[in-house]
Amino acid sequence: MAEEFSIHLKVWRQEGPDQPGKLVDYTLNNVNEHMSFLEMLDVLNEQIVAEGKEDPVEFDYDCREGICGSCNLVINGRAHGPKAMTCTCQLHMRNYSDGDTIVVEPFRAKAFPVIKDLVVDRSAFDRIVEVGGYVSIKTGSAPDANSIPIDKSVADTAFDYATCIGCGACVAACPNSSASLFTGAKLAHLNRLPQGEPERKKRTIAMVEQMEEEGFGDCSNYAECEAVCPKGISISAIAEMRRNYMKAALAGEEV
Amino acid sequence: MARYGPNEHDVLIVGGGGAGLRAAIAVAETNPELSIAVVSKVYPMRSHTVSAEGGSAAVIKDNDSFDDHAYDTISGGDWLCDQDAVEAFVKEAPKELLQLEHWGCPWSREEDGSIAVRSFGGMTNKRTWFAADKTGFHLLHTMFQTTMKYDPIQRYDEYYVTRLLVDNGRCQGVVAIELATGKIEAIAARSVIMCTGGCGRIFPFTTNGNIKTGDGMAFAYREGVPLKDMEFVQYHPTGLPFTGILITEAARAEGGHLLNKDGYRYLQDYDLGEPKPEPIHRSMELGPRDRLSQAFEKEEEKGRTIEGPYGSYIHLDIQHLGEEIIDRKLPFVRELCLKYENIDPVKEMIPVRPVVHYMMGGIDTDIHGATKLDGLYAAGETACVSINGANRLGSNSLTELLVFGARAGQAAAEFASEQKPFSSALEALATDESRRIEKGFFSENGSNPESIASIRQEMYQAMEKGVGIYRSEDSLERSQEKIQELQERLMNVSIEDHSYTFNTELVAALELSNMLDISEAIIQSALQRTESRGSHQRVNYPDRDDEHFLAHSMAYKSEVGPPKIEYQPVTITRWPPGERVYGH
Ligand SMILES: Cc1cc2nc3c(=O)[nH]c(=O)nc-3n(C[C@H](O)[C@H](O)[C@H](O)COP(=O)(O)OP(=O)(O)OC[C@H]3O[C@@H](n4cnc5c(N)ncnc54)[C@H](O)[C@@H]3O)c2cc1C
Ligand code: SF4
Ligand code: FES
Repeated sequence: MAEEFSIHLKVWRQEGPDQPGKLVDYTLNNVNEHMSFLEMLDVLNEQIVAEGKEDPVEFDYDCREGICGSCNLVINGRAHGPKAMTCTCQLHMRNYSDGDTIVVEPFRAKAFPVIKDLVVDRSAFDRIVEVGGYVSIKTGSAPDANSIPIDKSVADTAFDYATCIGCGACVAACPNSSASLFTGAKLAHLNRLPQGEPERKKRTIAMVEQMEEEGFGDCSNYAECEAVCPKGISISAIAEMRRNYMKAALAGEEV
Repeated sequence: MARYGPNEHDVLIVGGGGAGLRAAIAVAETNPELSIAVVSKVYPMRSHTVSAEGGSAAVIKDNDSFDDHAYDTISGGDWLCDQDAVEAFVKEAPKELLQLEHWGCPWSREEDGSIAVRSFGGMTNKRTWFAADKTGFHLLHTMFQTTMKYDPIQRYDEYYVTRLLVDNGRCQGVVAIELATGKIEAIAARSVIMCTGGCGRIFPFTTNGNIKTGDGMAFAYREGVPLKDMEFVQYHPTGLPFTGILITEAARAEGGHLLNKDGYRYLQDYDLGEPKPEPIHRSMELGPRDRLSQAFEKEEEKGRTIEGPYGSYIHLDIQHLGEEIIDRKLPFVRELCLKYENIDPVKEMIPVRPVVHYMMGGIDTDIHGATKLDGLYAAGETACVSINGANRLGSNSLTELLVFGARAGQAAAEFASEQKPFSSALEALATDESRRIEKGFFSENGSNPESIASIRQEMYQAMEKGVGIYRSEDSLERSQEKIQELQERLMNVSIEDHSYTFNTELVAALELSNMLDISEAIIQSALQRTESRGSHQRVNYPDRDDEHFLAHSMAYKSEVGPPKIEYQPVTITRWPPGERVYGH
């Protein structure tokens, strides 16, 4: 069995949405390099429950495989922790050593209110999708359309943008709390495919405006979002979104 | 719509995975007037469908045919599939996948722009569509985004359903806990569709995430609906030891080899064909899952597997495919191996062993998703139609979610359109349920309190010992007794956390009671089936026995003790029972 080592944690504790929160110190003496970061937090909770003085720390996760986008933590100031292209759930304790201090906080943004401890409400993302992140045009009866042939390179690029898991790290990392990378990725996926093209203008305007309405900030090209995105979504999505938005808005069309 | 109270709908769907979302869209399209609720214990995008990697099967290429897909499915299922259901399934499969494409699903493409398909275990032709190795994610995401365009669909995210509301012989909704507040409430509906997924979590070593606790099966079972073919539990041959994380079958379809401790492709010793350098359909590594997992057990008996800290394992070798192909076709396999095992499959072999993966059995339904209880429908892994028989073929499940999710949605919409009035007893039923939960779990229960963790641990042991890949009468009986004991001990659990917000301990207790009920159905069905068929292998009954067991096991809940098992004939249309032949 792997050797055990100690870790100091500073964890954000907050009772509820409108309550004040603070960082609370804990020390764990039985961490090993094979543990994932989330397993380490499970161990912390076992310790908290055993001591019986406070509630366990609430944090979100599900798949633990980097696909569901729910394991959202800011670790030592960086969304999803130190490793590129990695979600919190894929981070392992072998990246830390004995005596390290780790600060664990929720994804912070005006549009992502804290529900409890490390859990935030990201339903603002859903509302952005609700206004246009789908194909509503009827594309003919399915069988005779026999899969619209799509150029492989177009399909591959659309696929890359479609891999966004909606985790919100881009928002957490952005000094302006902008949701441009997320929204740009959704748009770049659908606008690119032949079946999504007819609604391009309408979709772009609706989603961009909803993003503003939810209280996300503007994009000032800091590119912090691209650096933390666990799926490697490229900021070209943002440039594309702006181009399309300008074109649609300038055309002044009925949208 | 004025005629609805706050918690009243026409159709209520429990589950926001692939089956649930497809059903919701089908309801909205069948009758746009209906109000629809999608209730899910996690955000829909966290449903387990998201982790499906390999792909979704449907005939699309000129050299393929519906009959081939049907025959592969039926022989793969060791003739326990209902053939009318299989015929409907293979015909509707391509329509469903094309429909998804029209909703924006980024299916992988060939160079010429047509849909790309890959080989899969037990399939004669290439017919598995994929979106690289994130198929489940894209399938679910496409439907999730599509549901957002239908106003009548209302989501109840993070609501945990605890039971069905049944009165006058009709299912009229559910009782659910809003996890954020702990509020227990009735949600009434004129019809209910169970899309709650599988129950791999009753086993200790599984590819299934924490949420797969078979809740829906338990709810239906308690209302007198039979659970069908529960003894058929699929072991996937290639899980990472310890974590149970799945290495997709696509790794073998692309040409990966399974090697024992001597580096020998041992499947050739188990009537699965000759080893060739290139993958061959229905042969060797592309044989069906039940046969591959059974071969592992035999190899282990012979001492030809490798001993590891987390049980014995064999190697999956994909190094010869080269970095380029691995990165292009199996990027997620490389990502998982690097992140979870610290192994790079480009330069190293991957340790793998069989792991519990999928439930062929489930809530008994007809080919429209209707159960024997009026107003209750089921689709997806929680249901048993049955197209999977005694062994599901990889990549048939995602397609099943779509085909039968859509069918159940349509049938439930038609039933709800009759607008039968709600019973007046629903509120009272919900009050009873909230009392049951508070009394059952929050009060101090006697002098001998039990812990959830220890009961769960003992359930794992009982299931692993009793209903593993090979099953004996003796171990099954002992497991049955154990489960009964655990059901009684669960009554003495008292929950320390009395808070109402996100009470994960309460949910864990409720899930455990569901898992124990399902376990009894699995064990009893396995005990009474004294033959070997597909994934169900009985040590003293090594042969298939069509004379007695070409039939579905139907487990009915008893007041006390193990369930009553009845048998229902299998529907045979065009493919009389034959021998399963692989590797020729
Ligand atoms: C790792 C992995 C890989 C796989 N790969 C493939 C593949 O490549 N191809 C293939 O065909 N199949 C594959 N499968 C199988 C397939 O993914 C599943 O059978 C399928 O996704 C199940 O979908 P579902 O909609 O029935 O249920 P799920 O997706 O599991 O959804 C269940 C839903 O029910 C909800 N729910 C459950 N209980 C409650 C409750 N009490 N209250 C409220 N809501 C509840 C959950 O919140 C969830 O939304 C794979 C399975 C696994 C585990
Ligand atoms: S763009 Fe990247 S960081 Fe932002 S939500 Fe999508 S996956 Fe997460
Ligand atoms: S837990 Fe699903 S992405 Fe991390």
